[in-house]
This record gives sequence, C-alpha cells and structure tokens, in this order.
Amino acid sequence: MNHKLPTTNYQLTIGWLYPDLMSTYGDRGNIMTLQKRCEWRGIDVKIEKILIETNKTRLEECDLIFMGGAQDTQQEIVNKDLFENKGKILKEKINTRIPGLYVCGAYQFLGKYYKTAEGKRLPGLEIFPIHTENPGENTQRLIGNIVAKTENTTIVGFENHGGRTYLEDKILAFGKVQKGFGNNGEDGTEGILFKNSIGTYLHGPILPKNPEIADFLIQKALEIKYGERIELEALDDTTEQKAKEVIVSRIK
Amino acid sequence: MLQLSIAIGKGIHYVSKKFNRAGSTWPGHIALKTKSNFVSSIIKKNPKLKVILVAGTNGKTTTTKLIQEILEKEGYRVFRNEAGANLLNGIASSIVLNSNSQGRLPFDVALFEVDENSLPIVLDQIKPFGIILLNLFRDQLDRYGEVNTIAKKWQEALGQASKQTILITNGDDPMLSFIGEKSGLVVSYFGLAEKYMKVGVAPHDVDFLYCPQCKTKLTYKMRSYSHMGIFECLACKFKHDKTETFSELPNPMLGNYNRYNINAATLLLIKGFQIEKSAIVDVLKKFSPAFGRQEEMTYKGKNIFLLLSKNPTGFNQSIQGILEKDKNPNVLLLLNDKIPDGRDVSWIWDVEFEELKKSKQITISGDRAYDMALRIKYADLHSDVLENTSDALDNAISTMKPEETLYVLATYSAMLETRKILSGRKIL
Repeated sequence: MNHKLPTTNYQLTIGWLYPDLMSTYGDRGNIMTLQKRCEWRGIDVKIEKILIETNKTRLEECDLIFMGGAQDTQQEIVNKDLFENKGKILKEKINTRIPGLYVCGAYQFLGKYYKTAEGKRLPGLEIFPIHTENPGENTQRLIGNIVAKTENTTIVGFENHGGRTYLEDKILAFGKVQKGFGNNGEDGTEGILFKNSIGTYLHGPILPKNPEIADFLIQKALEIKYGERIELEALDDTTEQKAKEVIVSRIK
Repeated sequence: MLQLSIAIGKGIHYVSKKFNRAGSTWPGHIALKTKSNFVSSIIKKNPKLKVILVAGTNGKTTTTKLIQEILEKEGYRVFRNEAGANLLNGIASSIVLNSNSQGRLPFDVALFEVDENSLPIVLDQIKPFGIILLNLFRDQLDRYGEVNTIAKKWQEALGQASKQTILITNGDDPMLSFIGEKSGLVVSYFGLAEKYMKVGVAPHDVDFLYCPQCKTKLTYKMRSYSHMGIFECLACKFKHDKTETFSELPNPMLGNYNRYNINAATLLLIKGFQIEKSAIVDVLKKFSPAFGRQEEMTYKGKNIFLLLSKNPTGFNQSIQGILEKDKNPNVLLLLNDKIPDGRDVSWIWDVEFEELKKSKQITISGDRAYDMALRIKYADLHSDVLENTSDALDNAISTMKPEETLYVLATYSAMLETRKILSGRKIL
C-alpha cells in the first residue's frame, strides 16, 4: 500500500460524465485510480458526478474529465443530453486543452459521425477528427486483450467493440497496436491523443494497469490549472507493472 | 434415424466415461450433428413429459436442484441437465442419457437450466410447460454481449412459447417484469419481502435503472440488491407488480440471492404442481446447494467455504453472504480469465471489495491474480499474492485457528480447480 505523502496545496476537480449510464466495463476503476493517485500524493481531489439531471455549469468547473462506455440504450439517453445540453461545454473544455479520457462509446461519440450497420449516419459531437463505421452483425466484433505502444510506454487492456474508427490523420493515434485490433483492426492505430484528451478502445479498465496514463492526465490537469510545470512524485507501482506484465508476456 | 442418434450418443457417453474424459456435452453434440432437430423430435415423442426451463445470470443450478429434490420427494420422476452443460448440446446430452433406445423418456418432468444466450434456440426446439427467468445481470460481456441485447432476445423468444406456458419471473427486476407483462403467457412474479430490502441510493452493479418502456429514470421505494427492488416510473406509470415473497420459508443458504432462488422454485412448484408449502419447507431444511456453490469442505484440518463468484452481482452477494456469517473473515480470491470465466476481467472494478475492510487476511491467486491485487490495493487493503493456487490455499490456512473458516471466492474454472485440490481428486 502507498503511504500518504505530505499534503500539497494542489486541488483537482474530476468530472465523471454519466456514471450511472456510461459505466459498463468496470469503468469506475479509472476514477478510483485517478482519485487514489491524487490522494496518495496529497493532492486534494473532488469527484464531480455529472448526471443527466446535473446542471451543466458543474461541468465547467472540472479540471479533468472522464467518460466511459455504455450499452446502446444508455448511450441514446446520453447522446440526447450531450446534443441538447452539455456537448458545447465539453467541446470547449477539450479544445482549451482540459485533459480527459473517453473510452469506447464515448470516444466514438466525440467523433464526426457513426455509420450504423444499416448505413445510417448518426452525427457525433465533432470534437475529435475521427469517424466510426459499424460493418454489421455479420462482421466480427473486435474482442480480446490488446497491447499497444504509446510514445513513452507500453499499454495493455481489453477491447470489445463492433465499430471501426478511422482517424483523419494517423499522426494523432494514441498508440501503435502490438497485439489486438485497436481503432479498426486494419491500420495498426489505437485511439487518439487530441490536445490533452485521450480517446481509446481500451477497457480493463485502462488506468489501473497503465498508471503512466493516469499520471499524464493528472499532471496535465495540474499544469493547466496552476499554469506551472509540474513534476509528480513517483509512487510504488510494483503491482501495476506485474499486472501489466501478465498481458504483455502472453504475446511473446 | 432418431434411434441412431441416441445409439451413437450413448456410445460416445460410454467411451468418454471409460476414458474419464470431461465429456458431458459430447453425446448431445453428436446427436445434434446426426439429427439437427433431435431435441424437438424426442420431446414430441414424449407428450406427457413436462419440461421446465430455468434461465438467468445467477442461481440456475441452485434453483434447478431445489425443484428436483422437492418434486422427487413428492413422487415425480425427474431428470435434469448437468450443471453448466446448459447450451443446446448439454440439454441434448441429458436427453440421450435418460432416454431408452426408442426415444422414450420414462420421466414426468425434465428440468433444464439454460444459458442466457441459448434460450431462443432452446425455445425453438421445445414447447415447455414452464419457464423461470431468474434475473439478468451483466456477465462476461465478451461472451454474452450486453444485457439489453439478451433482454431483447428473451422477449422475442418468449413469443414462440405456447400461450398456456407458465412463466415465473422476477417482479423486482424492472426488465424482467416488463418482459413478463408483454409476454402474453400465464405469468406470475416472485420477489423479496420488504423486510429484506433497504431504502437508499443505487449501488454500482446495476444494469437497468431506466424505465424499459419509456427510458425515464426509475424511482425506487426500496431496494434488495443491484437493480432489483420496488420501482416505479413516474413518467409512464410502469411499476412494480405484486410479487409472491414467501417470507415464512427458511433459507438454508447464505444471502438474499438465495431467497430469490427459493421463491422462484416455490412459485413454480405451487403454480405448476400444486405442491404444499409444508413439503417445500421439509426439503429446504435439509437442502445443500450444488457443488462449488456455498460448499463446505475440510482441507488439512481447516474449514473451507467455497463460493462460486463469477460476475459483479454474484461477487457482491458472496461478499455480503460471508459478512453475514463472519465479520472478520479469512478470504481467498481466485481470478481466472479462461473461456468459462470470461476473458475480460474488467468487471472486478464493479465489485465492492471495500466491504472486506475488516477481513483478517486476503490472499489472492489465479491467472489474473495481479489484476485482483491491484483492485484490492485501490480499495486501500492489503493482500498476499501467490501465483500457485495450492500455495495460496496453504498460505491462507497457515495462520488460521481451528475454529476459523477460509472463504474462497472463485470464478468458474478456478472453482473447479480448487475443488480438485481440496478433494484430492477430479470432479466433473
């Protein structure tokens, strides 16, 4: 267990978009990881749960944003609220470099459009320069453990998606697939790194086994909020690395 | 042709038994290969046989076993498929093994537990006397897909059943209640008495918080666990129906989830077979669940309590069950990611391991032991990881006093593996 480090004067508000609707694949683990890794470093952290009925001004106060994946029915309810209500603020947040993590359904919805199996084009929030296509029920879903290389580290997770996502510019890819499918199973890209926001297909959830990514988000959030260069104190990540190694070793 | 399928199936069973192979679905698999409508043609040859299907994420085996014991005590001749062999080939296997060479099944009742995804194909082959839909929770999303998809499949599949079919379903579950209401079958609802429910906010392992009819957020007067409770939609007026709660019945097992199983079985026995409650009480008093599901064993002189725990709601209920018995438990957590466990282990983050904060010790093993250790670390608890399950068991019992118990919470393949170690022999 990590010991608490001396309290800093830093404070972060983490916005968790639709925890009751967009939380199907253990997504809560991402929030727990961000929260604990702040607390263990003495950073005061507040988790702001943003529900359909939550006033959108609460989203404005967030320094870091997370939104997970969902089932189709839940996604419909969320899409409506984003279009009519909170989407504008979210777009502004992402464009002003407020860091965030958007997994699976959330990642897709932040793109330009989603083409359904029937060929219908559902508009997205047009924040990320991506689009997604679902080739239909007769094409296999992309399911399994995934290992990818980002600029600085190796990340692992589990993916389970029917949609194939295409980046307008591959240079924006969050990672390069080592094993698994990633964005579309064709071009070797996984996710997107857009300004300070990450869109990804990795469940697992992604942050516990990839603490480097959690720390990247925390560091960026602090830097933007306090306008200074921040170096986070190192934590003991032995268990994290062992859990990661189990998946990495399977591809060797 | 039918006789041939049976003969081949029985032959396969003989061979696989002789070589002690785990071959419980092979005879059925082969029978279906030789005759694809094997199941429906045999069932049609036995018009007096009453077939009961039991589907749901958790509790199928326990519920089926309980119904069988009570019916047998009442003089019915009953057979059922083997625990876990609950796809169409498993059902076909049990038919092969229990029929004579002419395809006659000398039984009054056939009890089949049915995999969530297989209910439509099974209903394609069988017109059952009764159907029990126990519950529906997220489980192995990589294999089963999303819960809403299964709910939709079930709803469509029920359309194939004859209108006289007795449908027994969970009235505390909004989605199942909705499916029951729309089914047009002879539906009755079981539920839990309010004294076993609580007032409070939604837990984390919920799947249906929104009205299945109009997608407005549901309001709950009381909750049992997960998304089950006394609910109401304030927008379209869809609401909890009256349920049979049988609160006078004893629960010989741990946890409210077993009360649901008992109530489902009881409701079917009353509606379908007019069995007296006193007869049910007699069996319940002596009832012990199927292997690996709340099973008590002794290992190297220490008490072991084995609980199959394979999805968020199942795990949460196991934890609550343990805490009912022991406020400071010794716990062994076993997490595998083989096909029967589900390859995706993300779900452990939906389990309330924080509830184990007062445990004496937590030991961890399994293919994905370090994932579990990470989950425990983020619950601010300490654990010991031992990669070898046998070592983990030894480590866990080494500091235990003779009167203490080790609670083993294991995913499916880990449960089988542990049972093998505990009993020193191969089971199933």
